[in-house]
Amino acid sequence: MEKIQSLELKNISKSFPGVKALADVSFTASPGRVCGIVGVNGAGKSTMMNILGGLLQPDDGGQIFINGQEVRIENPKAATDLGIAFIQQEIQVFDTMLVYENVLAADFDKWRKGKRSLVLDRKAMRKEAQKYLDALGSSISVDAPVYSLTVGEKQLLQIARALSQGGQILLFDEPTSSLSDNEIAKLFEIIGKLRDQGYIIFYISHFLDEILSLCDNVIVLRDGRKTGDALVSDIDKEKLVSMMLGYMVEGSARSSVRKQNDIVLRAEHISGIRLPKDVSFDLHKGEILGVWGLLGSGRSELFNAMLGIDKMTNGKLYYAENGKLEETTSKKLYKHIGYLTEGRHYDGLFLDMTIGNNITSSDIGRFASKFLGTLNTKKENEESRSLMKQVNVKATNEKMIVSKLSGGNQQKVIIAKWFLKNPDILFMDEPTKGVDIGAKTEIQNLIFEKSEKGMSFVIISSELEEIMSLCDRIIVIYEGRLVGEVSKSDFSKDSLMKGIVSQEGNHAD
Amino acid sequence: MSEKLKQFVHKNKQLLSMAAIIVIMFAVLSFTVEDFMSYQNITNLLSQVASIAIMASGVTFVLVTGGMDISSPSVMAASAVVGVYFMTATGNLVIGTIVVLIASAALGLINGVAIAKLKMVPLVVTLSMMTVATGLATVLSGARGLPVLPPAFSNFFNTYTVIGMLIVIAFILDYILTRTSFGREIYYIGNNQNAARVSGVNNDKIVMITYVISGACAGIAGIINTANISTARASMGPQSQILDIISAAVIGGVSVNGGKGRVRDACLGALLIGGISNVMNLLGVSDYYTTLIKGSIIIFAMGIASLRANISAKKGV
Repeated sequence: MEKIQSLELKNISKSFPGVKALADVSFTASPGRVCGIVGVNGAGKSTMMNILGGLLQPDDGGQIFINGQEVRIENPKAATDLGIAFIQQEIQVFDTMLVYENVLAADFDKWRKGKRSLVLDRKAMRKEAQKYLDALGSSISVDAPVYSLTVGEKQLLQIARALSQGGQILLFDEPTSSLSDNEIAKLFEIIGKLRDQGYIIFYISHFLDEILSLCDNVIVLRDGRKTGDALVSDIDKEKLVSMMLGYMVEGSARSSVRKQNDIVLRAEHISGIRLPKDVSFDLHKGEILGVWGLLGSGRSELFNAMLGIDKMTNGKLYYAENGKLEETTSKKLYKHIGYLTEGRHYDGLFLDMTIGNNITSSDIGRFASKFLGTLNTKKENEESRSLMKQVNVKATNEKMIVSKLSGGNQQKVIIAKWFLKNPDILFMDEPTKGVDIGAKTEIQNLIFEKSEKGMSFVIISSELEEIMSLCDRIIVIYEGRLVGEVSKSDFSKDSLMKGIVSQEGNHAD
Repeated sequence: MSEKLKQFVHKNKQLLSMAAIIVIMFAVLSFTVEDFMSYQNITNLLSQVASIAIMASGVTFVLVTGGMDISSPSVMAASAVVGVYFMTATGNLVIGTIVVLIASAALGLINGVAIAKLKMVPLVVTLSMMTVATGLATVLSGARGLPVLPPAFSNFFNTYTVIGMLIVIAFILDYILTRTSFGREIYYIGNNQNAARVSGVNNDKIVMITYVISGACAGIAGIINTANISTARASMGPQSQILDIISAAVIGGVSVNGGKGRVRDACLGALLIGGISNVMNLLGVSDYYTTLIKGSIIIFAMGIASLRANISAKKGV
C-alpha cells in the first residue's frame, strides 16, 4: 500500500431524522501529528468516527480525500482497505488464543501454507507478529496466552492488530478509560513512537489533560459543528472548555426560584461497588436537582446504587412519605419514585409491545382487579390515550408498536409511563438524549409543569446548557465523589466546570 | 364491523393460520384415511394430545419469560411415580393425586430457584433436572415396577374427564397469561427483562413462579398418563417427548426468545403434532418412519416460524 501523506475531510454533514449530527465539518490531518478530537456527548464525535470507519455514509456534498484522491468509504471493509483502523474503547481480544494469533486475527487466510492447504504457517505468523510488537517496543512473548496479559498489554495487542491490517490512519476512541495511570503513560509513549514513524493519529478523549499533553493539534466539535481547530501549543484548558461549551444563556429558563420547602429525600454517604463514593444530598419537594459530571464520573451509578438496581455498599436513605423524614430502603423507596434510564432501548422500553402496554408498565397493578388480578384493558387504553395526549406522543393510537416510533416519541412514551405512576420523585438520566430540538423543549416544559405540581426531579444531563436552564440547584460529581454544589444564583459554566477542571488536574498528576 | 374483523385477524394471525391448517388437514384426512373422523378416533386423539398439550401450556409460561424448561416429561414421570408409590403405600387415591401435584410443583420450584435466584442457565438446570427426575422415578419404581392401581382411578380419569380437563386448564392458563397483571408482567420480562426490572416488576419472583407452573402442568399430565396405563413408571416420560412439547409451543407461535405466544395457540400446536402421529398410526406407518417424518415436519414448521419472525423483525426497523 502506498504511504498515506494526507487525509482531508470536506464539508461532511450527516442528518438523522430530526437531528443534524454533523454540519459542514472540514479538516485535514497529516502524518507525524496526533490530532485530538473533543466535544461533549452528542457533539458528533462518534458520528464522525463512524463515517471514517465506513459504518455511516455522509450526506451528499461531503467529500473525503486520501493523498488528494477522493475516496468513498462504503463499509468497514473499505475503511480497512484504505488503511483506516480503529482502536476501540472496549478492548476486543480473543482471550483463550495466543498473542500472535490475536495480532493476525483479521486475516488467517493469508497465512495458509499453500493455496489449498488447511494448515497455517505458524512460523511465519510468529515472525510477522513479532515485527509489529517490536515496532511498538513491546516485550510480550508472541506465544503467551492472551488471558495472562494485563489490560494495557491487551490494548497494545489491539494496536498491533491495527498495524497488521495495514492501518496507517489510527483512530483511538477513549483508549485510557480502562487503564491504570502507569499503563496510560506507556500508551502515550507508544502513541508518540507511532507518530514519529509517520502514522496519522486521531485521539478522542473526555480527559482534557490527556489531550493537552499528548496531542499536537485539537479539533473541537459542538452540536455537530466544528467550533475549534487549533495547535495545542496555542491554547490552554480554559480556552478548550469554552470552545467545547460555547456561548450559553446564563441563568435559568425558569425565572422564579421555587421556595425551598420540605425535604422529601435525603441521601447520606451513598457508595456503590466501584462508584459512587460517599455522596450525600437533600432533595426538596417540587425541586429540580441537577447532577452534573463528565461521562464516567459515576452519575448513573449513583442512581443505580440508590435505587437498588446495583448494590449499595454503604449509605442511608431517608424519605418523607407523610411529611416526616424516615429512614427507608431502596426497595421501599422504589414504590414512590420513577426512573427514566439512560438506555432507552436497553432498559427503558418494551420495543415489541404497544405504546399502551409500555405506558402502563410502571403501575400495572393499578389496572388489576383485587381478586383474580384481571386487567381492565378499557381503563388501561383510556389512561394511555390521555397520557399520550398530555405528553404529545405522535402516533395513530395506543396500539402502535413502540419500535416503529421515532427516538423523540419513544422518549415521550417513557415519560408518559412515569407520569402514569405519578411518583413523588422522578429520577431522569439524560432525559433528552438523542431527541430532536422540538421534542427537547416539550420535555423540558413537561418537567417544569410537573414540578409546579409538587413532583421532585433529580436529573442527569451532559448538556450544560440544558442542566442550567432546567435545574434549581446542581451537584457536581467527579470520579464518583461529590465535589461541589451550585445554587441557582451562581449558575455559570465556569462555576460548574471549575470543580471538574481543578479535579482533573489532580487526576493527571 | 369490518374494521373490528380486520383487527381481530391481525391480532390472531397465528391462531387463524393454525386453525386453517388443522381444519384442512382434518378435512383431507377424513376423506383419505378411513376411520379418521370416527367418534372413537377423535376422542382417542384428544386424550392422547391432552398430556402433551398441558405440558406445552406450562412450558409456554417459561418460554414467554425467555426461559427454557426441558425437564417436563421427566418431572411428569417422577411425580406420577411418587404419587402412585404413595397411593399403593396408603391406599388413598385422592391424597395420592394431590401428592403428584405437590411433587411436580416442588421439582418446578427447584428449577425456578436455581434459575431465578442463583442465576443458573435454564437449559443446564432443566437438563440436570431431567436426569435427576428420571433417576428418582427409576429408583422409586424399582426393578419390578409399581403395582397396578385399582380401576377406580382410571375410571375417574376417563377419556371425557381428560378432554374436559384439557379444555378447562388451557382456558384458565390462557386467561392468566393474557388477561391478568401477573401474565402481563411475564410478557414484560420476556420482552425486555431490564426494562421490566426498572418498571418495578419483581423479575425473580415471577420467573420462579413460571417454573412452578410448568412443573405443576407436568404433574397434571402425569395424572392423565397414570390413568391411561393404571400405574406409573419411569419410561412413561421418554426424554424425547420434550421435542413434541417445545415444538407444539413453537408451531403455535410461542417465541423461544421470549415475549410472544399464547397458551391457546400452543395447545393447537399440540393438536397438530398429535394429529400427525395419529394419522401415521392409522395408516400403519412403521414407527421408524413416523419419527423421521414427524421430525421433518417439525423442523419445516419451525423454519417457517423463524423465517416469518425474521421478516417481521426487518419490517419493524
